[in-house]
Amino acid sequence: MSIWEKLTGLPREIVMTLVMISIIIPALNPLGLPLMTGQMSQDWYDAVDALPEGSVILFDIGYGSGGYPSLGPGNIAAFHQMFDKDLKIVIMATALEGTLMYPLVMAGVDPEGNYGAVYGEDYVFIGYVAGTQTAMAGVLGDLHDLVTNDYQGNPISSMPILDDVNGADDIDLVAYVTTSGDIAEGWVYQAYSQYSMDVVGGTLSMMTTSIKPYYDSGQLLGIMDGIKGAADLEFLTGHAGDAIVSSDILTFSQTLVLIFIAVGNISWFMSKKEVKS
Amino acid sequence: MDYKRDIPLAITFLVGVIAIGDYYTGIEAVTQTFNVIKNWGIVLQGFALGLGAVNLFRVHGRRVSARKEGTDWVFSAVLLIMLAVHIVIGLMTGQYEQGETYNWLYNSIYLPISSTMYSSLAFYMAYGAYKVLRARNFDAALLFITAVLVIIGNTPMFPAIYPGFFHMREWIFGPIVSGAYRGVRIGIGIEAVVLGIKTLIGMETGYLGRR
Repeated sequence: MSIWEKLTGLPREIVMTLVMISIIIPALNPLGLPLMTGQMSQDWYDAVDALPEGSVILFDIGYGSGGYPSLGPGNIAAFHQMFDKDLKIVIMATALEGTLMYPLVMAGVDPEGNYGAVYGEDYVFIGYVAGTQTAMAGVLGDLHDLVTNDYQGNPISSMPILDDVNGADDIDLVAYVTTSGDIAEGWVYQAYSQYSMDVVGGTLSMMTTSIKPYYDSGQLLGIMDGIKGAADLEFLTGHAGDAIVSSDILTFSQTLVLIFIAVGNISWFMSKKEVKS
Repeated sequence: MDYKRDIPLAITFLVGVIAIGDYYTGIEAVTQTFNVIKNWGIVLQGFALGLGAVNLFRVHGRRVSARKEGTDWVFSAVLLIMLAVHIVIGLMTGQYEQGETYNWLYNSIYLPISSTMYSSLAFYMAYGAYKVLRARNFDAALLFITAVLVIIGNTPMFPAIYPGFFHMREWIFGPIVSGAYRGVRIGIGIEAVVLGIKTLIGMETGYLGRR
């Protein structure tokens, strides 16, 4: 067997071990490789940045533990920007596990410690609302009719943040982070199409192709494109975290994938040439 | 008259008309009525979660009690045990988010397992790219070039060195991907409208289940 034939059929174990090494090295020793901020993340940042102090944002945590490594850091960076600008955040979850992501994200943001935010005045978590698009339509239709207590069981009627927030007319921006296509497109249908609201969305990179048309047409003002988008937001907000470290990992592992693709093709052509000759 | 068929069809028609009325007329009374219906829908979906849990117990309970060879009934047993543990702890503490034990169960067991499952995709995708992305013919060469350009544009360091890589990726995502995807979405949208009309006038009864 020639060297080309060997390279054509590298065993899975070798490929995966090298991928693992390419992930571990930058994870243990972040190199701070250069990063170019994407336009979609910049637009997300600008959309939030343009809101005047005290504006209300409806934020949907639409992901669970599977999506946390990719979307959690971006969610944290997004909250940092919102709290930093003294915006009011009404947080909900259209994903069942969103309620369990909320404490993880909040542990990373620490709104009370870092920004002096007060629960019930500056932010509130109304918990999981079942029904995906029905839930979105319900919250934007009549929030107080749909939800009577927050996730901790406190009556929302006693919360100053929700005194003047009844539905879509009182919300300045809808932001969501999700692993679900139904949630990602659902907010465009329910918030933009129905009420012409401003919407920004964060998804896994592999889903970006499906929501990019909405961004191109202006229905989404910005997109947080997976871990790359999260790294952009961390950079823009000045809160470096897991995503910026992960962007080094992305650079290493994706460069290795490119090398493998090159090796696979060159060796395939060379071995074909050998057979012919 | 077939009540089992006609009553659900009548309800569907009525709800559909109210939903359309809310969207197109904006009459306050219609909007309020539709808000109530939406809230009912959310409550019903909450019940569906409970029904799902009961169904899990039934399906996996049967597998465990049958213990047939080759059915991986042990995994069903693990699922049932974990389901019971989470329900009991959730009900005992009455708290989910702040419950320390519940949180520990989730953060120490489910979160790492779930993240690992998702992360393991990286290895399979890398191996898949190596094995499959080969320019064997013209079609494969097009796929190969597109994939390579997207990977380069998506790798944080390359666009930082040469922004042209980023613009190439954006161009692929723009006219090519968005154009194709819009075509697909418009097709799906038209189909959804047709399906909605058929459902509204009772021509589509698949949602009533097997009868």
